[in-house]
Amino acid sequence: MSRTMRILASLVVIAIVAVALGVFIIRGPGPLDFAGGTKVALADYRAGKPTGVPARLEKANLVERGEYLAKAADCMVCHTSPGGKDYSGGLGFKLPFGTLYSTNITPDKETGIGNYSDQDFLDAVQRGKRHDGARLYPAMPYTSYTYMSDEDVLAVKAYLFSLPAVRAKPPENTLSFPFNQRWAMMFWSAVFNPDTRFAPDTSKSPEWNRGAYLAEALAHCGECHTPRNLGFALDNRKKFAGAITAGWQAFNISSDKATGLGNWRDEDLIAYLSLGHAPGHGAASGPMGEAVDHSFSQFAPEDVRSIVAYLRSVPPVPSPDLPATTAPVAPASHKDGVTADAHGKKVFASACASCHGWSGESPVSPMATLTGTWTVNDPAATNVAQIVLSGTKRHTPDGALSMPAFGSAYTDDEIAAVANYVTARFGTKGSKLTAKDVAELREQTAD
Amino acid sequence: MATVLTINGETKSFDAPPEMPLLWVLRDILGMTGTKFGCGIAQCGACTVHVDGKAVRSCVLPVSAVANRAVTTIEHVGGTPSGAKVQKAWLDAEVIQCGYCQSGQIMSAAALLVSTPNPDDADIDAAMAGNICRCGTYVRIREAIKQAANGRQS
Repeated sequence: MSRTMRILASLVVIAIVAVALGVFIIRGPGPLDFAGGTKVALADYRAGKPTGVPARLEKANLVERGEYLAKAADCMVCHTSPGGKDYSGGLGFKLPFGTLYSTNITPDKETGIGNYSDQDFLDAVQRGKRHDGARLYPAMPYTSYTYMSDEDVLAVKAYLFSLPAVRAKPPENTLSFPFNQRWAMMFWSAVFNPDTRFAPDTSKSPEWNRGAYLAEALAHCGECHTPRNLGFALDNRKKFAGAITAGWQAFNISSDKATGLGNWRDEDLIAYLSLGHAPGHGAASGPMGEAVDHSFSQFAPEDVRSIVAYLRSVPPVPSPDLPATTAPVAPASHKDGVTADAHGKKVFASACASCHGWSGESPVSPMATLTGTWTVNDPAATNVAQIVLSGTKRHTPDGALSMPAFGSAYTDDEIAAVANYVTARFGTKGSKLTAKDVAELREQTAD
Repeated sequence: MATVLTINGETKSFDAPPEMPLLWVLRDILGMTGTKFGCGIAQCGACTVHVDGKAVRSCVLPVSAVANRAVTTIEHVGGTPSGAKVQKAWLDAEVIQCGYCQSGQIMSAAALLVSTPNPDDADIDAAMAGNICRCGTYVRIREAIKQAANGRQS
C-alpha cells in the first residue's frame, strides 16, 4: 500500500469512528435503559403479561382487542382533522419548515390503507416504512410503536379494517428542501429507530412492566414530554423532563419532587389520567386534554395504576425553568397582590374573573382553579396563552366543564397582557409575553 | 336520578342530567325565569346568580357542581340585606333601560357589597367588568352601587 493510500485509509477509518461516536453520543440511551435490570424476550417472560389487553378483554374478539389498543396508542387524535371523519387523516402539523398532514388510516383502498398486508402494516407502525416503500416522517411515533408486539399491532390493524372506509385524501405536505426528501429519513430511521420489540425487565414487577409497555410502546408519553436532541429524536438523558410540542408545554413528568410528579399522590395521578383533573393540579388541556379524552379515560383501572407505578420509577430530572414550589392562593381582593399589568387586569376582570376568581380559587369548580397549576407557575406562560386562545373542555362523569376560546375575540396584545397578569398574580413569576409571541403560538398549534 | 338543590332557602328536587347548566335548571325545569340567558359562555353576566354568596355565571355551571351549596337567584336577592339595598338604589337611580342584563347586574352588585361594603371605582370595575349592558347604563349602575353602599338617596 502506498503512503497516500495508507493516509486515505486512516482518514476513512477516523471518519467512520467519528460518525459512529457522534451517532452514539447523539442517540444516547433508549427509553427503558434507565431501569437497568436484565431484559428478556417477551416470549421468555413468565411473571406476567405486559402486552395485549386487560383481563376483562382477554376473551374479546380481535377487533375489540384492537380497539382497546388503538385507543391506548391514541391513533385517532392525530389521524383525524377537525370536522373530519374519524381516522380519515388530514390533521396538519405545523413545523418550522412547512406543514405535514396525517394520513387516512381507514380501510379505503385508494386513499387509505385498504391495500396494506399485515407485513405492510407492521412495517409502517414499527419501522416507519410505507406500503410503497417510502419513509414516514417521525411525526408518526414509530420509534415508540416499534416496541409494540406484532400481535398487538395486528390487532390494531384488525380494528382499523373493521371501520367504514372513508375516501379522503389529505392535503400534500408543504415541507421545504431538504425536509421534503423522504428518502433521507432512511438514515434518520437507521440511527434513531431501535426497531426492536418490548423486552420485559426481570428486576421489575409485572405491574411495572405492563406500565412500561403502555407508556412507551402505546401511549408514547415521551414523544411530547421528553426533550429532543440535535437529530430531532428523543433525548432520553432527560427522559420525561418536559418539552414544547405543537406550541404547548408538555410539563415534566419525571419523578423530580419539585418540578416533576414526585410529590403527586397516587390518587392524583390516577385522577389526572382517567378524568383529566386532579385537585390542586389543574385540568388537562390542549394535546393532553385530547390524550385523556380519547385514550387514558378509556384505560382499564389496573392499566392506569400500572402507568403510575412506571412513572414513579423514571429518574428525577429537574426543570430549571420552573419554580421549586408553586405560588399560594392570591389575595381575595383585586387590590392586593400583584397589580403590575393594568391592561391585563382589565381583560382579566371582564373575561376571566367571574369563573377563576381574584384569588385563583374558582367559585365555580375545582377544575377552574388556577392556584397550584404548572400552567400559571410557568414563567413562559405558554399554556396560559394557548388555553386562552383555544379554550378547553373537560368531560367528567359529572358533566363537562368548558372554557370558551378567546382567540378570535381578543387581540394578540390583549392575550399577552392577560397571560402576563395571570402568571404574575397566580404564579411565582410573571411572564413577559409580547403580541409577537402570541402570534407565533397561534401558528404552532395543529389544525 | 333526582337532584336536590337548595335554591333561595328552599329545597328543590328534580330530574336533570348532571352536566345540565344551572341556568337551564332554573329557567326550564323550575320555571324561575328572572335569571337571563345571554351569551352562554360566561362572558356577558346576564345569568349571574349567587352560589354560597359569591357571584357566578349559571350558564356554564353544571348542576352537579352546586349540590350541597346554597344558590340565590334574582327572585330572592331582595330578601338579603345587600340585595335589598341594591334593588332600592336601582329604583331610585332609575338604572334600568331595556332591563335584560339587569338581573345579572343586580346579582353582581349585591355580591360586591357583601365582600366590599364601601367599594370605590376600581372595586366596581373589578366586580362589574364581566357584566355587559347593551344600553350602556354603566354610569347609572356605578352611581346606584355607591348609593346602595352609603345609603343616601340622590
